Amino acid sequence: MDQVLSSITNYLGVLFILLCLGLILFYLLSDRGRAKLNLRSIQAFIHFRREVDLAVEAGKRLHISLGRGSINDLQGGSAFIGLTILDRCARAASNSDKPPVTTSGEGVITVLSQDTLRSTYRSLAAEERYDPTNARMTGLTPLAYAAGTMPAIHDEQISTNIFVGHFGTEIALLTEAGERNQSLTVAGSDSIPAQAVIYATSDEPLLGEELYAAGAYLGAGGAHSASLRMQDILRWVLVVAIMVGSILKLLGILS
Amino acid sequence: MKKILPITNAIIAVISGIFVLLGYFFPGVFGGIQSTLIGWAIILAAFALLLGIFNLAMVHWKKIASSKSGNINSMVLLISLVVTILIVSINGPAGSWSLWVFNSFQVPVEVSLLAVLAVILVYAGARLLAHRPKWNTILFLVTVLVVLLGSAPLFFIGEITPLSIVRGWLTQVPAIAGARGLLIGVALGTVATGLRILIGADRPYGG
Repeated sequence: MDQVLSSITNYLGVLFILLCLGLILFYLLSDRGRAKLNLRSIQAFIHFRREVDLAVEAGKRLHISLGRGSINDLQGGSAFIGLTILDRCARAASNSDKPPVTTSGEGVITVLSQDTLRSTYRSLAAEERYDPTNARMTGLTPLAYAAGTMPAIHDEQISTNIFVGHFGTEIALLTEAGERNQSLTVAGSDSIPAQAVIYATSDEPLLGEELYAAGAYLGAGGAHSASLRMQDILRWVLVVAIMVGSILKLLGILS
Repeated sequence: MKKILPITNAIIAVISGIFVLLGYFFPGVFGGIQSTLIGWAIILAAFALLLGIFNLAMVHWKKIASSKSGNINSMVLLISLVVTILIVSINGPAGSWSLWVFNSFQVPVEVSLLAVLAVILVYAGARLLAHRPKWNTILFLVTVLVVLLGSAPLFFIGEITPLSIVRGWLTQVPAIAGARGLLIGVALGTVATGLRILIGADRPYGG
């Protein structure tokens, strides 16, 4: 019986993944050549775009903090969003004297951030701008990471800090460093305790799924917009399923 | 070569990703190849860690070489790094000297940072009202206050029963409902991110 249930769960899992994939591909193909998607206004992204432009004009630097999530587990998902933001920032700041600086608390994310910077500069035919020390690993434990990142915020003439990835409550030390440096802090994380701290301490918090919408808002490509539409549809499906489940339980039909 | 390498990277990443994903759903058929691929990923992650430490040393070496202010910190970091590597290499990670280094330096520094963190969170809560004077900010701060006061017995008063009851309801009902809502958003976002990498639309590996 357990084996049958496990098989059903596995097949449902595959079906769910295929449904997600199908929706992404459908919207990717159907939106091709269409004008930009109408997205609801998120204050963090409006400020972020403005600050990136101001940083380039003022000759200041952007700091992207990718957290300390390992890509071998779920925590890596938010760091990949950070890499997308890094790519957009490097492109936007390609004319600036000060290229963006990235900090992370995990070896693989550090290597991936170096790779992202290199491939972005290569695609802009500006490979000479690539400096591996602009993508740094600053510490391996949560507090060591925070302690290693704080000097970067103070010393590198940072105008905007973007914290996107897996953090814990130690993110308060980083947002506080940004506040003391009088730089804007945009922050989002996959961790619930970190989101509570971000809400209280950052200038522009990104809560829940807002973080995963970054690519679509920053124009990272059709796949990001398509996956955002997929998320919207599935969220409504889940909302309806939860509501129906609650009503059935209230009526005593579900035990 | 410059064009072939990114495509090869993408093909390897997509195929590996598909096998690892299938391994979760059909462990009997794809479990073996999945564990092999994850094993390789762990070995590569260990090498990436070494590269990260080398990168950290390079950053601070550059700081010392440029003789900017604050390079004394970089010097202390590099000396500590070399000394720690030497001690742990000779004594082993669980040796008495290695543990002495950990317990005498790493632990006190992290504990003091935790203490600073507590102060910063209180300060941030107070500052929030000045930065964002909205109804949801007030609700957030009132909830934090109720949960704090209801969590521990107070000096001379002891436990305040009504506050404990309200705290219990807040943490069990609205907080869990909100957290689950946020987690559903995070889970859908993570699935979307994984699928974008799986179809090769996102290539964070320089593809």
